[in-house]
Amino acid sequence: MDKTNKWSVLSIAALAAIALALPLLVTSSFAINILIRILLFSFLGVAWNLMGGYAKQLSLGHAAYFGLGAYTSTIMQVDFGISPWIGMVAGGVVAMLASLPIGWLCFRLRGPYFTIATIATAQALMLIFLKFRDFAWGAEGTTIPNLGNAPLMMQFEAKSAYYYVVLGLLAIGLAVTYTIENSWIGYYLVAIGEDEDAAEAIGVNAPSIKRNIYMISAFLTALAGTFYTQYIYFIDPATAFSFNISIEAALVSIVGGIGTLWGPVIGTVLLETTSTLLQSWLGSSIGGLQLTVYSLILMAVILWRPTGLIGIVGEAYQRYLRRRPVRA
Amino acid sequence: MLETVAQAVINGLLIGGIYALVSIGVTLIFGVVKIVNFAQGEFVMIGMYLSFYLSTQFGIDPIASLVITMPVLFVAGVLIQHFLIRRVLGPNDMPQIFLTFALSLLLLNLALMLFTANYRTVHTSYSDEAFHLGGLYIPVAKLIAFVVAMFLSGALWVFLHTTDLGKAMRAASQNRDVATLMGINPNRVFCVALGIALALAGAAGSLLMPFYSAYPFVGQVFVLMAFVAVVLGTLGNVMGALIASLMMGIAESLGIQYVGADSGLLVVFAMLLLTLAFKPNGLGGGRAR
Repeated sequence: MDKTNKWSVLSIAALAAIALALPLLVTSSFAINILIRILLFSFLGVAWNLMGGYAKQLSLGHAAYFGLGAYTSTIMQVDFGISPWIGMVAGGVVAMLASLPIGWLCFRLRGPYFTIATIATAQALMLIFLKFRDFAWGAEGTTIPNLGNAPLMMQFEAKSAYYYVVLGLLAIGLAVTYTIENSWIGYYLVAIGEDEDAAEAIGVNAPSIKRNIYMISAFLTALAGTFYTQYIYFIDPATAFSFNISIEAALVSIVGGIGTLWGPVIGTVLLETTSTLLQSWLGSSIGGLQLTVYSLILMAVILWRPTGLIGIVGEAYQRYLRRRPVRA
Repeated sequence: MLETVAQAVINGLLIGGIYALVSIGVTLIFGVVKIVNFAQGEFVMIGMYLSFYLSTQFGIDPIASLVITMPVLFVAGVLIQHFLIRRVLGPNDMPQIFLTFALSLLLLNLALMLFTANYRTVHTSYSDEAFHLGGLYIPVAKLIAFVVAMFLSGALWVFLHTTDLGKAMRAASQNRDVATLMGINPNRVFCVALGIALALAGAAGSLLMPFYSAYPFVGQVFVLMAFVAVVLGTLGNVMGALIASLMMGIAESLGIQYVGADSGLLVVFAMLLLTLAFKPNGLGGGRAR
């Protein structure tokens, strides 16, 4: 095992240990809530990043799959009493299936017009769910019945339990990304992201690769949707298919560094911390302040660090490695 | 029955004129600079708030305030091209998409902070006036907006086809490299394209003000329409965008009439998705890239 490899294994082990121990040290529910948000949006970013980062298919419509996941598990739970753990996987499958026709339509366009088409599909789904009064509660939405402490129904009294659930999701997302990144699919994806025509010319089956990666991305995004609904005990089309979900998934990845394993996590930590600090500094929340700051950060990153902030972290780590005295 | 249809068509056509101003701007920027301006709707919003304040503070009629909003937004367009967009032009379209997207988010949320989410309206002497033509009802404010919008679109067409600068813009949109070799300064042409596009958005804002409320999210409605119209009308094609916008206005209005009041947008999305499925290069053909 060469030195950098050993160090990355060690640092990941340390990171995992810190992540697992954090709820034991941080007990205020305010802080746990922020940690859960960070993990959730990191996970969303990781799911988005497979599609948007590695293959550079810049979707701003991932709320479609977030919402489908949320609605599938909630309908199964409220109407049929099926556990959200099963509903979560079912929601993922529904999202995967939905990504086929949506992808079939949107992949006909490239670049910015792909982006617009994805926005339109997510918005169209929201409008459709607003109309579904009979089995999906229309615009009013519904609250999830509170069963107290029911781990089998994904309901917990301790907030830290939610923390571990979403930490597990993030770990799955990172593991999937790591596996794909280090397989031939990862290289094909990067080739498609660099130049789709050139990739096809050398024999990459771009449509099929894009379709498959879009399905995985949709599946993971749907899991986040189920978790979020269980966490806030409420669902309606405006929150489940919120454009802000699509924005946030893309934003954290771009700020952190698209097409990198840890980019979305770094981006989320930075953005969520900034927004929390701003809110505590200004006392109450001012409408629009959070996204104003986010968009300024996004513009700064695009203009001065288009590869994302992960570059800064990487450089610092390399400098640290170089400065370390070499032991025999 | 026939009268209801005719009335819906007229309503749609009149609002379609406003959609045309927004989508012509989007398609002009796409054609010349090769970027999609996600913030185009926010400039309509800025135009509306400018007209609102000019009207409430200085008593300037919203439609007349066009002579102020258009130059102000033209200058804004030149500055945005020169200081922001110029820096991200390159083979990779990720920074371009997210720069204009960030600009849209920024302007929208700044508006939310400065003006709050309240709806602002201006009431003019002609806001409630209408012509009656047989059984049909034609609101004066919308008619003026439509006529001015068509006049501005026509003026743009004349500009693009008769002046040197206009021809330079069309040349740059056909082949940027060759145009540069012919001595056309691309950044100057891009600045003018952004300026004109934003001025048109500002004009749309002023024209809307007598019959439409201003609020921070108002641009989103128009920009979605514009994107659909631009795809339908073939990317980068000014005349195509104009015709598609009018069609979209009519389709939306018929959707509201026959599917339900909240279904106008759904009809529009359905049109977009159907177009993508069956005519991905726009109704007129051409390349969708």
